[in-house]
Amino acid sequence: MIQTNYIQNHNPFTFNKFHYRTKWIIGLLIGLLLPISLSAQTPSDALMMPSKNICVLFSYDMGSFDRYWEGSYLRENQTIATVDRNTVLPMAAIGILDNLNFYISLPYVRTESSEPNGGRFAGARGFQDIGFAIKYRAIKKELGKGTFSALATTGFSTPFTNYLSDYRPYSIGAGAPEFSIRGIGQYEWQNGLYFRGSVAHLWRGYTEAERDYYYDNGSYYTAWMDVPNAWTYEGVFGKWFLGYSLKLELSYVGLNSTSGDDIRAYNAAQPTNKEKFDRVGLSAQYFFKSIKGLGVVAYHNRVVNGRNTPKLSNTGFGITYQFNVIKKQTEENVTQ
Amino acid sequence: MSHNKTYIYLLALLTIFLASCEKDTPRYLPYKSYAYSELNENGGNWIPILQESGSSIAIDAPSNSDSQAYLNEIQEVKTLMSNITSDQKRAVTYWTNNPAIRWNEIALELIAKYNLIPGPNEDGTYTLPNPSNPEGPPAFPFAHPPYACRALAYMSVAQFDGLITAWNYKFQYNREAPYQVDTSIDYAYEANNLPSYPSDGAVVARASKNILTAMFPLEAEYLESLEAEHLQSLLLSGGNVQSDIDAGVEIGDAVSTTALNRAANDGMKNAQTPKAVSDSIKQAAYDRFGWAWDNLEIPERPVGLTPLFSQVTMWSIDDVESVRPIPPPQLDSQEFLDDVALLIDHAQNMTEEKRRIANFWQDGLGTYTPPGHWNRIANEMMVKHNLNPLQTTRTLAYMNMAIMDSGISCWDAKYYYHYPRPIQLIEGFETIAGTPNFPSYTSGHSVFSAAASEILAYVFPDEASKVRAWAEEAAISRVYGGIHWSFDATVGTEQGREVAQYVLNIAKADGADQ
Repeated sequence: MIQTNYIQNHNPFTFNKFHYRTKWIIGLLIGLLLPISLSAQTPSDALMMPSKNICVLFSYDMGSFDRYWEGSYLRENQTIATVDRNTVLPMAAIGILDNLNFYISLPYVRTESSEPNGGRFAGARGFQDIGFAIKYRAIKKELGKGTFSALATTGFSTPFTNYLSDYRPYSIGAGAPEFSIRGIGQYEWQNGLYFRGSVAHLWRGYTEAERDYYYDNGSYYTAWMDVPNAWTYEGVFGKWFLGYSLKLELSYVGLNSTSGDDIRAYNAAQPTNKEKFDRVGLSAQYFFKSIKGLGVVAYHNRVVNGRNTPKLSNTGFGITYQFNVIKKQTEENVTQ
Repeated sequence: MSHNKTYIYLLALLTIFLASCEKDTPRYLPYKSYAYSELNENGGNWIPILQESGSSIAIDAPSNSDSQAYLNEIQEVKTLMSNITSDQKRAVTYWTNNPAIRWNEIALELIAKYNLIPGPNEDGTYTLPNPSNPEGPPAFPFAHPPYACRALAYMSVAQFDGLITAWNYKFQYNREAPYQVDTSIDYAYEANNLPSYPSDGAVVARASKNILTAMFPLEAEYLESLEAEHLQSLLLSGGNVQSDIDAGVEIGDAVSTTALNRAANDGMKNAQTPKAVSDSIKQAAYDRFGWAWDNLEIPERPVGLTPLFSQVTMWSIDDVESVRPIPPPQLDSQEFLDDVALLIDHAQNMTEEKRRIANFWQDGLGTYTPPGHWNRIANEMMVKHNLNPLQTTRTLAYMNMAIMDSGISCWDAKYYYHYPRPIQLIEGFETIAGTPNFPSYTSGHSVFSAAASEILAYVFPDEASKVRAWAEEAAISRVYGGIHWSFDATVGTEQGREVAQYVLNIAKADGADQ
């Protein structure tokens, strides 16, 4: 049944790095991959394709903010003016088993301030964090007038380059390893309408600054900064149209750090900050019927409330292509 | 489903791995009580900075160690020690037998807490911190480098003067410590033959608290509680009786009063000028040299940081202009054009090493500032060399006097020459460090660091080449950061070294080297 397939639609990377827009993108886009791989299946033959498929994604994301929350105070700051964060994301999803998928991704991020600005700071650019995730679908069953699915994902990401995390707001990432576990539940009606909810916990490690003293409600005589752990919550309303070739989603995502300090008055943010935000988003994804395996995606997200976080808006476009390579190789190996 | 089991094991392993990668993030220098390298029995004869001599402050003789009053005091210590709580034990361990370093760290923490530049108001104006309304907003003070180096200098000088006084009376009255009088008392720190009256710890506690309370008025309550904990730890360590502490507190009050009287009249309150004065300083430089530094922030800050810090009374030099450096290059000179090319080259070919150096020494807003960084370096070095409290405060006093004097000289050059920053003269130039709100020439980091390193090189000859190399690295870090010309750094380093010599002349004549 096609409808059940995009339950997996939740992407493991969403919990990865919520405090950077890029991580959102990853999450969103990974989510989009799954329906694609599933779209290759036939309604009567649901078991065969996912375990032998690879889906690649390439997307471009444009994010920017001209205000940020300093503690709970929403501040404008002409020193940084409007900060742009543009991200290129290559990613791959691999179907290992029908109910087990593996993901790998590596975003390239570029940041800079608009001109004029009062700070004249150089932006930053580079490959951010390499991410890996595994998603397992534990339950998929008919329930009432639809299908209920439950999934769990676990992910790990770590900086791919020696980028400087202690360079807010231009730093391209948190600079810390992250381990995450997420539980996902989705219910889909037969008419293609679905609701999905998920909760995740993010364990973040330490990031190494290039100074060996910093202030975080007191002195710290070390270069290591503790990046706060966080909970994230997500709710999505979605519906399929045009015979399951177009999908529209409305989403809410919340993140809540479990520790950390506030950004101080008119001072730069730092990786130890206690971040919190509420974000809403819209996305559309279309799978071409004429070109098998090809899909496109577009989305827009806005942070509507927060603490120690940019009031970020981001818009992205992506292209996804799913193909069946593993099966082929397996067959070749068998032949040999 | 063996696959699933594998993943569950993997997950469990990952969890264990994550739990085990907690890092040690120390909140203060992790040193403990140690044996002093020497006692400096003649330290009471050293020449203080602001007092006439170690006997200027009169301290009465203590009661005899066989008097009932003293025996009662010993009994009080024993009672307290027998009822010690775990928090009190922690406090005794924390304060150690060289608490001047702890108070220095407290000062650094307050500097970092208050080193926040006021942001603009809604209408684009800026409000400056006001000592008569410390709550603000913005809160008083803005602990920028000139403010920080001055606070550290007054605190260290008061501590040093106080300990010379304490040493004078310690070896005049020669009262043994409680743990020596009564061997049933178990001393918490390394035993030594330093007489206990007056308590050196109490001198440091009271002098530090008084200076810091004046410098950071909103922290009065916090500092009061720290002092109370410290003074009680002196009793609980078994090293002092109450009368030792009372005498130490008396000295601490006296030396801090003298120091704060000097501070009240040193000219700092006029350092942050009105706009009209600032504008006339700028115009004078433009008339003289044909250039002037502009603040490029949005909205523009009307006045740079402390234009008249140059007029603050120096510790070692009468006339600040006598150590003014040579003029910076003309804007059409080859030397200047070469520097433009150099800065562009650094920006375009930024390496991880240059970035690391720029960040390591940046010590910008929200941190303990470059003077604070050098105090931290000194603290680590003093512990490493097992300095006693008197030597510790002597080192900090001269180092912070040198840092402050060199800073005053640096500010004289900054506002006399009023030289523009790289972002002002290089079209489209971007930096990886924050451009400060004051003229470029000479570099404050360079001057502060060179001065500090010269004092440390004098106190620790075996560290001389290391600390001088660090000072040069701190200087060049500003060029890597894109916010200073290379001549700001090189001339600033020479300037700091030159000013430090005046302080060293005082140090070499204070009697400690004889």
